[in-house]
Amino acid sequence: MNTITLRLKEQPSVPLEVEVLSPDVLKTLSHAEICASSIRLGKRQRRIDDFFEVEGERSDQLEIHGDISRLKWVGRSMTGGQITIHGNVGMHLGAYMQGGSIEVHGNAGDWVGAEMTNGLIHIHGNAGGQIGAGYRGSMKGMQDGAIIVDGSAGLEIGMRMKKGTIVVGGPAKDFTGLDMKGGNIVLLAGAEIRTGAWMMRGTIISLIPIILLPTFHFSCSYSPVFLRLYAKFLGKLGISIPVDPRAGHYHLYNGDTSVPGKGEILIWHPLGTS
Amino acid sequence: MGGKVTCTLGEVKNRADFIVYWGGNPAECHPRHFTKYALIPKGKFVPRGRKDRTMVLVDIRETKSARASDIFLQIKPGKDFEVLTILRALVKDQPVDRSQISETGLTIEQLQDMVERMKRAKFGVFFFGMGLSMTRGKHMNSAAILTLAAELNAYTKFVAMPMRGHGNVTGADVVMRWQTGYPFGINFSRGYPRFNPGEFTTIDLLVRGDADAALILGADPGATMPQPCIDHLARIPTIVLDPKVTHTSRLAKIHITTAVTGISAPGTAYRMDEVPLPLRPALQTSYPTDEQIIRRIYNAVASKPDWMIHNGKMTSAQI
Amino acid sequence: MRITGGKVYDPAHGLNGVVKDIFIKDGQVVDLPVDGRTIDARGMIIFPGGVDVHTHVAGGAVNFARAMTPEDHRRTTAFIRSQTTRSGIGGMTPTTFATGYLYAGMGWTTVNEAAVAPLSAKHTHDELRDIPIVDKSCCVLLANNEILLDLLQDGEYEQAQHLVAWYVWAAKAYGVKAVNPGGVAAWKWGKDTGQMTEPVVGYSKLTPAKIVSGLAQIIDKLGLPHPMHLHCNNLGAPGNLATTLETMRSLEGHRAHMAHLQYHAYGGNDWNSMRSEAPALAEYFNTHPNFTADAGAVLFGDTVTITADGPWQHLLYKLTGRKWGNIDVENETGCGIVPYTYRPNNLVNAVQWAVGLELLLLIDDPWRIYLTTDHPNGACFWRYPEIIKLLMCSDFRKECLSQLSTKALKRIHLAEINREYTLYEIAIIMSAGPARALGLPQKGQLGTGADADLVIYNEDDDVQQMFGHPRYVIKGGEVVIDEGEIRATPPGRGLLVKPSYDETIETFLRPKFEDYYTISFDNYPVEMERVEQPTFNNCIETP
Repeated sequence: MNTITLRLKEQPSVPLEVEVLSPDVLKTLSHAEICASSIRLGKRQRRIDDFFEVEGERSDQLEIHGDISRLKWVGRSMTGGQITIHGNVGMHLGAYMQGGSIEVHGNAGDWVGAEMTNGLIHIHGNAGGQIGAGYRGSMKGMQDGAIIVDGSAGLEIGMRMKKGTIVVGGPAKDFTGLDMKGGNIVLLAGAEIRTGAWMMRGTIISLIPIILLPTFHFSCSYSPVFLRLYAKFLGKLGISIPVDPRAGHYHLYNGDTSVPGKGEILIWHPLGTS
Repeated sequence: MGGKVTCTLGEVKNRADFIVYWGGNPAECHPRHFTKYALIPKGKFVPRGRKDRTMVLVDIRETKSARASDIFLQIKPGKDFEVLTILRALVKDQPVDRSQISETGLTIEQLQDMVERMKRAKFGVFFFGMGLSMTRGKHMNSAAILTLAAELNAYTKFVAMPMRGHGNVTGADVVMRWQTGYPFGINFSRGYPRFNPGEFTTIDLLVRGDADAALILGADPGATMPQPCIDHLARIPTIVLDPKVTHTSRLAKIHITTAVTGISAPGTAYRMDEVPLPLRPALQTSYPTDEQIIRRIYNAVASKPDWMIHNGKMTSAQI
Repeated sequence: MRITGGKVYDPAHGLNGVVKDIFIKDGQVVDLPVDGRTIDARGMIIFPGGVDVHTHVAGGAVNFARAMTPEDHRRTTAFIRSQTTRSGIGGMTPTTFATGYLYAGMGWTTVNEAAVAPLSAKHTHDELRDIPIVDKSCCVLLANNEILLDLLQDGEYEQAQHLVAWYVWAAKAYGVKAVNPGGVAAWKWGKDTGQMTEPVVGYSKLTPAKIVSGLAQIIDKLGLPHPMHLHCNNLGAPGNLATTLETMRSLEGHRAHMAHLQYHAYGGNDWNSMRSEAPALAEYFNTHPNFTADAGAVLFGDTVTITADGPWQHLLYKLTGRKWGNIDVENETGCGIVPYTYRPNNLVNAVQWAVGLELLLLIDDPWRIYLTTDHPNGACFWRYPEIIKLLMCSDFRKECLSQLSTKALKRIHLAEINREYTLYEIAIIMSAGPARALGLPQKGQLGTGADADLVIYNEDDDVQQMFGHPRYVIKGGEVVIDEGEIRATPPGRGLLVKPSYDETIETFLRPKFEDYYTISFDNYPVEMERVEQPTFNNCIETP
């Protein structure tokens, strides 16, 4: 299938808002129409071809090359198709996404997959804060789908998420899983403080020990059955978590009792550690 | 989470018998707070004034305000969120992991005593300052104390109020909200208001270099903000309106001296409890007011050809 | 300006779709032909501009709600600024400029802000000044004012009368609002009122009934053009019909305007047995002409509840777990805010939806019951066209009823009602009637001397479409809306009264301010400059 390819030819002086860079919009547009599509440079209106060399047309496969770390809203509300970015990308990547997939060979800004309802986002580099989160005041964050970040992440990952999966390969910052309503967050390299703060439901899995709030209680040490199934699901996404009881166990913590919530935090303890 | 239970300061004066100052130093930063509103005055239902009130100070160090307190809780830096979360649990008779309590700098006895006092109060109030809202956790620290106050209403009357900074911060918040829906950090690039702290708030914009011009009114970021912000302000065209030549003025392209609002120019200020107060100028000045200068700039901009797309229409699809 | 050939509905003059020309000069309707712009209104329908007798659009409470609902701001209609219009946000708590555009866009030209705390009245007036196009009045909250309650408890009715007049003038208000009399004062201690005849918390003798009748009498003595605007005790509670009827009886023939009557017409003992008692309430209302009311109708969907009824909002927060905002205002009142969603499959909400419509349909005299949703409590004001459709089309009503559960249908009476409102009657409940209740003779009518506020519709069988998209809206003789486009944004007028009082009340008040308030007496009254184009209506001379 033919692909639309955009190569960045000029850095914007202020952030560019490019919600038109979505398969939903581009799949019906001709080359000329793509070039003329409106993007916002701060308060000014510009065309795509002011900043990009454009190849291709009428496709739901989009490839972007260049350092687009100042470009916001790529893939906003997309329902299908594929976006591949070779470079860093800015905030709100895949916000409100409903389907399709986004892959970034680089870093991403804050609010990746914010309030998404489905779809797959894979960031090979680092991401910012508020991954899969609800925007300020929203009662709900992501409601399904999967977001994988190979590198580190910022604050408030998965804030108010309801369902879906977030996997972070590098360390995350404070308030991972803040006010979580459901869903799963997998921390392959742990997080800083206040993980699971105010969580109602949902599961946070950490492969290295993390600091928990005093409103979380150690429940038991075990090999959860559901985790073996879940590990298979993660395996399909290329993520591996230990589930072999001969290698270790998960310590289960329940909380946050300040709500009171019924969230769970599972922390991996390899055999031979306490 | 979300929402706030509060009152005007007269309610505190007339009813409050349990006052908690958290992360603030009113003795030095809000010097009339004790005498006008919260501790000393005799209130309608607090006839003996100070004698009918208990004051708790929660802070990382013993400030001048501690002398006025009945109970001083010295909390370890960066532990406010943990303590507030513990209190929320204890108020609801929920279990708390005792082994972590000593890290907060407080004992379980102190915390339980606090919970009992809060529930026994007839009318309790949290006044929280920048020691809470500007330390690690930031808005979540504020959310924690607001949520605790809301939850205490299941047992007794409880409110929480921020100790606002100087310069009519509250007034700016109030006016922004009625005109745009949002209190601060508002972006108008698309012709309608948008709000996202961390994206459109000043320090973040300047650190990332997202703005290519700046107009500074009634603030001195050149003195208070992190170095990357100051460096960016120096790089871009910066305009300052201020009664004095400030640190920011010195790195700006243009400085315009304006009258001091409240002293030489009239207006309305909003108190920390959002009560509007008229400002009647006491002194004359030959300098123009901020408003006069802004109107002149506005008129000059408005006379340029309008390039905004979707001029004056409505949109049901905000970005 | 001349508007020619339109079908004029002017119930104040008995005109029921009469084809007639209207002449406008200097912002008023005149009887002699004039030159100037001509609008060919043949085939179109002309109404006097809408008058919203009870809404919450400005001031501390609404602004607090704005702070609490950024998620609604994000997803709703936004207004893009232009050379002549300001930007803004619509939705549940529209921003000020947007409020003016939305009301005017629908053909409403006068709004009554129903709840103003005198302590923050300066804030309210500053916001009202930022609402373009529409004329505004406001009602000042007094039924939980502790200084007043103390006087009423001591039987000092004359002082109380001067105090009320002083507050109305200090707040630059148009009328007096009573919300949950005694209940908001009780909420200052975390409580509510009990029975109408039980003393209010903190008082030995003063009961809600005495506050209600005391205030009603004072307002009649002062001759305020608008009667006491009353939000009864026990709002929203199953079985509260009893409280409503008791309240109405306690008024003993004095005038009162019952606010959002829908919330006060319930039977049953608890949420499970809650049902509509609209027929019983309508019957009493029909036979007691000293009352007017506004519907406070509910529509299904998201909204935010904003009310001075603090204890009710705390209860709503506990029931729903939604966000909760509350502010108590020293000596005066308070407010509570809870975002809420009315759902058709929720039994209580289904009853509420039906009750608003039942009251509008069962109350015989459209001159006494008005179209409101207690915006934003029951629904957002810009959804009024939906209610008009429900009132005019019984088939559509039946369709909506079929959405409800059988259990809900057993609790309501709407299915048995076949009445359909005529255009004439709609003109009454949305304009002529509320104007009369507010005591605004220059509004709600199109006779000589009336303010030239009119709305011109393209005739359409789809009444929701018709009322939602006027062809022209004219305010003060200026075309402000033309086919959905905002053509002009003149400032609206602030409608005021100046009731007389004995200046010695100030000697009484100054020490109270020292003792109980935290702002000085001299800084308290609203300055005239804060009111835009102040326009006075006279108090009624009492014989």
